[in-house]
Amino acid sequence: MKKFLERFYMGLILVFMYLPIVTMIVLSFNASKSRARWGGFTFKWYLNLFGDSEIINALANTMTIALISTLVATVIGTLTCVALMGVGRKSRAFIMGITNIPMINADIVTGISLMLLFRFLHMNTGFITVLIAHITFNIPYVMLSVMPRMKTINPSVYEAALDLGAEPFFAFRKTILPDLMPAVLSGAMMAFTMSLDDFIITYFTKGSGFDTLSTKIYNEVKRGIQPEIYALSAIIFLMVIVIMLGSRIMRYNKAKRAGSKEDSYAAKKRLPIGKTIAVIALAVVMITAGLVFGGVFRSKSNQVYVYNWGEYIDPEVIEIFQEETGIEVVYDEFESNEIMYAKLASDGAAYDVVCPSDYMISKLIGEDMLSPLDWDELPYAKENLDEAYMQSAAQFDPGNKYTIPNFCGTVGILYNKTMVDGPVNSWDILWDPKYKGSILMQDSVRDAFMVALARNGYSINSTDRMELEKAAADLIAQKPLVQAYVIDQVRDKMIGGEAALGVIYSGEAVYTQRENPDLEYVIPDEGSNVWLDGWCITKDARHKENALKWINFLCREDIALKNFEFVTYTTPNKKAQELIEDESIKNSEVAFPSEESLSNCEVYQYLGNDADKIYNDLWKKVKAAE
Amino acid sequence: MAKDLILLENISKAYGDQVILDDLNLSIHENSFVTILGPSGCGKTTTLRIIGGFESPDSGRVIFDGKDITSLAPNKRQLNTVFQKYALFTHMTIAENIAFGLKIKNKTDQYIKDKIKYALKLVNLEGFEKRMPDSLSGGQQQRVAIARAIVNEPKVLLLDEPLGALDLKLRQDMQYELIRLKNELGITFIYVTHDQEEALTMSDHIVVMNQGYIQQEGSPETIYNEPENAFVADFIGDSNIIPAVMVRDELVNILGTNFACVDKGFGENKPVDVVIRPEDVELVKAGSGTLPGVVKNVIFKGVHYEMEVEAGGYEWLVHSTRMAEAGREIDICVDPFNIQVMKKPQSEDEEAIAIDV
Repeated sequence: MKKFLERFYMGLILVFMYLPIVTMIVLSFNASKSRARWGGFTFKWYLNLFGDSEIINALANTMTIALISTLVATVIGTLTCVALMGVGRKSRAFIMGITNIPMINADIVTGISLMLLFRFLHMNTGFITVLIAHITFNIPYVMLSVMPRMKTINPSVYEAALDLGAEPFFAFRKTILPDLMPAVLSGAMMAFTMSLDDFIITYFTKGSGFDTLSTKIYNEVKRGIQPEIYALSAIIFLMVIVIMLGSRIMRYNKAKRAGSKEDSYAAKKRLPIGKTIAVIALAVVMITAGLVFGGVFRSKSNQVYVYNWGEYIDPEVIEIFQEETGIEVVYDEFESNEIMYAKLASDGAAYDVVCPSDYMISKLIGEDMLSPLDWDELPYAKENLDEAYMQSAAQFDPGNKYTIPNFCGTVGILYNKTMVDGPVNSWDILWDPKYKGSILMQDSVRDAFMVALARNGYSINSTDRMELEKAAADLIAQKPLVQAYVIDQVRDKMIGGEAALGVIYSGEAVYTQRENPDLEYVIPDEGSNVWLDGWCITKDARHKENALKWINFLCREDIALKNFEFVTYTTPNKKAQELIEDESIKNSEVAFPSEESLSNCEVYQYLGNDADKIYNDLWKKVKAAE
Repeated sequence: MAKDLILLENISKAYGDQVILDDLNLSIHENSFVTILGPSGCGKTTTLRIIGGFESPDSGRVIFDGKDITSLAPNKRQLNTVFQKYALFTHMTIAENIAFGLKIKNKTDQYIKDKIKYALKLVNLEGFEKRMPDSLSGGQQQRVAIARAIVNEPKVLLLDEPLGALDLKLRQDMQYELIRLKNELGITFIYVTHDQEEALTMSDHIVVMNQGYIQQEGSPETIYNEPENAFVADFIGDSNIIPAVMVRDELVNILGTNFACVDKGFGENKPVDVVIRPEDVELVKAGSGTLPGVVKNVIFKGVHYEMEVEAGGYEWLVHSTRMAEAGREIDICVDPFNIQVMKKPQSEDEEAIAIDV
């Protein structure tokens, strides 16, 4: 019985530790994009992954950085340990203490201070700065592994070699280094893992146009994690296991060869290790050389730095632009308006052209961070864009001086035709007790209040205390009917038929309908939120002409069409809409809401700190209610 | 007189404030077995390391075979060292260990092979070529370390407490090994130890050091029988060191009783120390000796009895093959030749530098 309990406990721990990873690996073979539904076994996410040049590029960057930083840090760290043996015990302890601090220090502090240093030195952030950062934080890990081993080494072994006529370096290589090697290798392994794993420090030192896997994946998360990422994570997990098993086997073999003495790492055949290292070193040197020369020969002047939402452009569009204009696009993605704002605020010249949404654009205009557009350089924009959207944009950009609308969308109700009776045309249905337990709400303060405010006929930008109290009371009254307040899961749950009604963004609606034809999207008659984002040129842009070319190019009808088909959010490009061949999409109310249904919709406005506080206080009450 | 192979001239060495060696002078004859003996921290290992080239003196010169090698790197010196903890290359076989120095000197494979064979035979480890150091006992490892050093045919072999980590029996065996090796090779051995028995057994010449100064040097017999000061007397074997007064030449007053002795030239009525070895104290029937006393304590030591005798207000240590039981009243007498008279140091500092002045 006791034995059974022991095993049961062990089993439980293993399940807790590995269930999430197993789940992820299983999902990476799921043909359906939904997390809730099994759509059959497939390798397509893996194939997609290897077809995605950006991810492969990020993978190459990650590996290059990891290899070079590991190699350099290992050499520096090991030499430092050797040197430390020559100083007194007290100073050695002191120096070791100092080198250990960066390890304990919060990554964010290390990241920010490195970023500041690079900026102070006027270094362009990118590959080199990330590499330097990784070398910096890897050295302590190498030392941590090498130093204890170093202390056990009998220095007279080195002296014995000198005594027998060896030159100092030869003596070191033949005596100290072989003894140190196991610790050096495990230090290198640790450094390699740390480098692969790092996100925060990389994020702060990478600058624009350069991504490692971790920053790339983080960017992808914006529109919900794509199954390709599961596949990638599964591969990384597999790689870690292989590395771990490899080092285990290596150690085991060594222990066997070393004979009975337990703590002896003495490996008789050390030559293969040396050869492997030489090969790796050579490869690394060649890669570095390639990158450096590649960098030297790449023209620096004819570029445009673009900062856009994740998965918000068809990658082919970038390629076509580069081919047609010869301008190199340095492309980065952000996941929220706030992150984009932070980046611009810290380095105004980091990007030439950005794509924030409505309220953020008004904030940027207010803070004089944008430069006015030269409409003469934007013939496609003048000709192709729908006047209705230009007027919407004017709500936050009076006179359309700074913004060219890119995509827009609405918030509405997604419902399952097989589960809901009759046409849906009002927010009221979300308060119908018939659907108790099958209603999904958006877990975000503005979206939730928007539903309740619009239902009562109030403005969705209301700051009236009474109106807001009423909206909150309604939301509390509705709560027993609501299955859950969620964000991403609305999509998955609706596809899987787990709920009948859900509040959702129009762009997601197009995608869900493709996956489950029983779903229907509607903007209630009371009105709703319409959002819009657009291209702006930054005040300190270094390539303003190229930025204008970029914006104008995106307004060309064939290009706008390509993007629409990729992104599925509403395009304000009238000509592009006319070019759509699929009649059901061309005339889709979801993709292209009528002017009539849009007329009731409002853009979110920034309400100020006081109103923000009222919203948040009431939202807390709503969330706490039973 | 044999030729001087190594000369240390006015060597001084300090680590920070701590003076290790102070103006040390030492000459080492060719083909001798010289032991530097002293307690830990006396500067003996530093002296050896200066000869080996692992430390450089703050001042002074090291002369080897007539040439100044003070600033020569260790790998360029014509001597080899056997280290305290063997310092074998643990990742190499025994053969590879021994071949290390020869390979650096670009000897032919055949030469190296023959040398390994010869060296292993010399240290009684034939057939150990393919073994790894970890699989050998401490004594065997030490022999490998010696073999590794001697294949290079050094003129001098430096040995830094090479037997320190071995157990007593093995240590005694290795002492005879080393004497045999020294005689077969016909080279100079400089041996550092804190073990006086090792020093007495093996050496032609012993250098006793303390606090960075040479206290006395000479043959093992001289050092043992005629210690020049209390430190040497105390360090080399058990002794009775007793304050006394030199009455006149050849007469010393010990604990109020006059003893005949053979020493001269200390002046009259001068305070001195006398050294009397425990085995030189004779116990005779009460009334027939020089100084009366009582046996306090008896311990059987195998070869002899060790007794404590209270006489003249001093506890005498006595070694004798004949036992006198505790409580018995006896008389002490000492042969004049066995009384070693030493000048009394006026201060601790003087004690340390006694021989240098």
